[in-house]
Amino acid sequence: MSRFGKAWVRLSENPRRGQPVEIRAMIVHPQESGFRLDDVGRPIPRNIVQRLTCTYGGKEVFRARLHPAMSTNPYFVFYVLAAQSDDLLFEWTDDRGDVATHTVRLEVSD
Amino acid sequence: MTQVIRTDRRAFLIKSAALTGGLALGVRLPEFAQAAINTPQGPELTHWIVIQPDDTVIIRIARSELGQGSFTGLAMLAAEELECDWSKVRAEYADVNEHVRRDRIFGSMSTGGSRGIRDSQEYVRKGGAAAREMLVAAAAKQWGVPVSECSVSNGVISHEDGHRKTTFGKVAAAAAEMDVPKEPKLKDPKQWQLIGTSPPRFDIPDKTTGKQIYAADVRLPGMLHASIAQCPVFGGKVKSFDDAKAKSMRGVKKVMRGEDWVAVVADNWWRANQALRQVAIEWDVGENGNVSSESIMQFLRGGIEAKDVPVARKDGDAEQALAKGVKIVEAEYYAPYVNHATMEPQTATALVKDGRVEVWVGTQNGETSIAAASEAAGVPLEQVFVHKMHAGGGFGRRGPHQEYTKQAVWIAQSMPGTPVRLQWSREEDIQQGRYRPVALVKLRAALDEQGNWTAWHVRQADQSILITVRPTDIKNGVDPVNTRCFSDNPYGVANFTDEYAMRNTHVPPGFWRAVAHTHNPVFRECFIDELAHAAGKDPYEFRRPYLQKKVKDLGVLDAVAKAVGWGTPAPKGVHRGIAVVDSYGSFTAAAVEISVKDGSAIDVKRVIVAVDSGYVVHRDAVKAQIEGGILWGLGSAMHEEITIKDGRVQQTNFSDYPLLKLAEAPAKIEAIIMPTGGFWGGVGEPPIGAVVPALCNAIFAATGKRVRSLPLKHHGFSYA
Amino acid sequence: MIDGAPPACTGRRNALRALAAGACLLMVRPAVATPEELAVAIRELFGDRAINPGRINLEVPRLAENGNIVPVTVTVDSPMTEQDYVKSIHLFAESNPQPRIVDVELGPHNGRPRLATRVRVAISQHLHAVAVMSDGSLWSTAVEIEVTVGGCAP
Repeated sequence: MSRFGKAWVRLSENPRRGQPVEIRAMIVHPQESGFRLDDVGRPIPRNIVQRLTCTYGGKEVFRARLHPAMSTNPYFVFYVLAAQSDDLLFEWTDDRGDVATHTVRLEVSD
Repeated sequence: MTQVIRTDRRAFLIKSAALTGGLALGVRLPEFAQAAINTPQGPELTHWIVIQPDDTVIIRIARSELGQGSFTGLAMLAAEELECDWSKVRAEYADVNEHVRRDRIFGSMSTGGSRGIRDSQEYVRKGGAAAREMLVAAAAKQWGVPVSECSVSNGVISHEDGHRKTTFGKVAAAAAEMDVPKEPKLKDPKQWQLIGTSPPRFDIPDKTTGKQIYAADVRLPGMLHASIAQCPVFGGKVKSFDDAKAKSMRGVKKVMRGEDWVAVVADNWWRANQALRQVAIEWDVGENGNVSSESIMQFLRGGIEAKDVPVARKDGDAEQALAKGVKIVEAEYYAPYVNHATMEPQTATALVKDGRVEVWVGTQNGETSIAAASEAAGVPLEQVFVHKMHAGGGFGRRGPHQEYTKQAVWIAQSMPGTPVRLQWSREEDIQQGRYRPVALVKLRAALDEQGNWTAWHVRQADQSILITVRPTDIKNGVDPVNTRCFSDNPYGVANFTDEYAMRNTHVPPGFWRAVAHTHNPVFRECFIDELAHAAGKDPYEFRRPYLQKKVKDLGVLDAVAKAVGWGTPAPKGVHRGIAVVDSYGSFTAAAVEISVKDGSAIDVKRVIVAVDSGYVVHRDAVKAQIEGGILWGLGSAMHEEITIKDGRVQQTNFSDYPLLKLAEAPAKIEAIIMPTGGFWGGVGEPPIGAVVPALCNAIFAATGKRVRSLPLKHHGFSYA
Repeated sequence: MIDGAPPACTGRRNALRALAAGACLLMVRPAVATPEELAVAIRELFGDRAINPGRINLEVPRLAENGNIVPVTVTVDSPMTEQDYVKSIHLFAESNPQPRIVDVELGPHNGRPRLATRVRVAISQHLHAVAVMSDGSLWSTAVEIEVTVGGCAP
């Protein structure tokens, strides 16, 4: 069963063409490092989010490779230059190969 | 390598470019002597010591005073090397905010693990010595004479010509400009004049007269008071709550919630707490609502019976030796959860205003408090000011767990500009503890024909504390703290295996004074008594051959045996027990004399504890720690137990979680302080370890009843 | 740190960035007090390319009470134009069970050379950040973070 939960994305207000938009993106996922032990001292199997990609109007604008040291419910703040009004598509992939996606519309004003 | 610094305590500016290179390479100034700066209090001679024109010496203390005497002891260490006039010394806590701004110059503030003195003694003494050398150098410079012609005593610097004299206060400002010596010379312990004595402690007068302000006593203008209820089942959350009644009650200002707590803020604490009781809270208890002491015992038993379990230590071949043993002794021992039950319940006062956070808290680690407050408020450390208060008992409760600090900040944050004093009720304190973990142990040992101890095997099943605070210390499933007393036992027995089965429950664990050295010594030392009995030998004589190589263990064991008159007949009806335990760098032993009436009423006549901590700083404080440790051990052995039902703690207050009463205390307590020198061992926790096993061994001698689980009251015993 | 060997690299969080720049010789010469695994990770990613101190800034709280969620902010001195931009940012924790934390690819389309996230820090140590620029140059910085388990931990 997929360990992915809800995605949460917020964009800065009033994106203006040619200006950077602040994007805050989080996905619910245990980010099980593989270093933790269970109640009887056995290692809990690793399952982390390995990758986050973000495309803007189909063009990739962000790619992150995550390792076990990223906190539970991986969270990023990054920027994208506002160009056209278009979809931002976020895609997270974990060790099990499960995928979570989320789409947010970036409305750009002049 | 002096830095030229502006005389502004808060703005730490480095001017000298030549020195920047050194810093850039990461070469720190010696930790005992960051550059001297002028502070509003007066010139700093190293960051540890400020000397005022009137010769007042302010010594800064980084650790916390919990009643154990470190506030005075640490000052003595610095003062010894400083050669100041002790009557002019004043100790104060190093300011936590300043510590952070000055890049942690005061070192570790962690007060636990009996570390306060032994971990900081070297750099604190060096700070005092460096300051002394700077003062003498300044006087010598003023006089135009070599330093070697000057001497110093009691805050007075003299030249060998017998004419020139000056005091610290007069040369302090000039001394602050001198280079900080990199390798100040420390006295040989034989030259100590202050260390090892018992000057009046700084904290005792106010504590005796009631003047001492604890975090619970803080009163600020406009302050409100809060009481809190956290989910009684650990890990649960608030589902909903109805505060209609509470809000209408007298004095109530606010009812607010967190993820797993509800708090009421009112104009006094009583009203806040009364109103809190009227809030109908529905808890989502989560998955642990069915856990009980019985289910926990089952869980532990699984650890005892499991097939493959991590090995903490393996010498020789215990299995084979056990198979060949002529006599096999086998026993299972158990110890329950217990609570710190600090006299002062968890309390913190917070004030949030204009992005600045102020916290008043009795903490065992100022850094943990500032980090917790900073995290809770979401502001940088530099915006947080922690007022360290003497704690009304720490015992390990007030260090790594700062949830009350965070809660106070969250509440204060919701009413900026209003100070809020959050005090947990006693019930909350008992039920939301960080408990000494439950432990079940199975021991097996073999004796040969001559009654020699040839092998033993220990299987431990208990709950790890480390996994919640420092999981990286756990390697291959072995908790290095919980296996102490076994994995590092001093007995020279060729075949030994210690296995560790971690069994973690939902009950939150914490470091209870002496941690694993409270119950593991009982398991070990009582079991060894069983071996002695099976071998038909005297328990004291039985132990000695296996401690041949352990001179210090033997030293304290022999000392208590001699003091109690072991080997000579005891008065009629009086029986003795003995035990030896080393922990936190020190070596201790205990001998207990009791008489038992009607097979159940224990009259503890005499308890003798010997401690070899290498060195002793404040002698009377060490004696007090021994005496207190004895009472701590006796009380917990008889009374203390935390039980779980429906996922929650059943005990509520001192009525059902009693501590030792005055009438139950032993008639005679003897502290044998025997520092053999050459090492620095702790004193806060070590005295406890040997007391309870010695008592249990005495109980066997008196009644023939072997106690293998605590508390004693479950075996029909009480203190006469 | 106080309890162990003095750190070879001391980063400062506030106005002393110029010093911090000098503090990162650590990255160029892994032999200088760099834990084994970190050196291996760096070699894996960057081979033997020179890594210069500077241009990248790493902000972390100096004291973390809970090492599980430590906020980290990285900023790079770069105009983020088509000719001159940050290609990637890499974070490391020298004393974690595994030193790599995250690797982020960027480009001129990002507009602002800033990245924030939350990381797990197992014990007190240094965190390192490396930025790879469009011209192929590598820049690094490091900061110290203290995880205060504190209290009665024996």
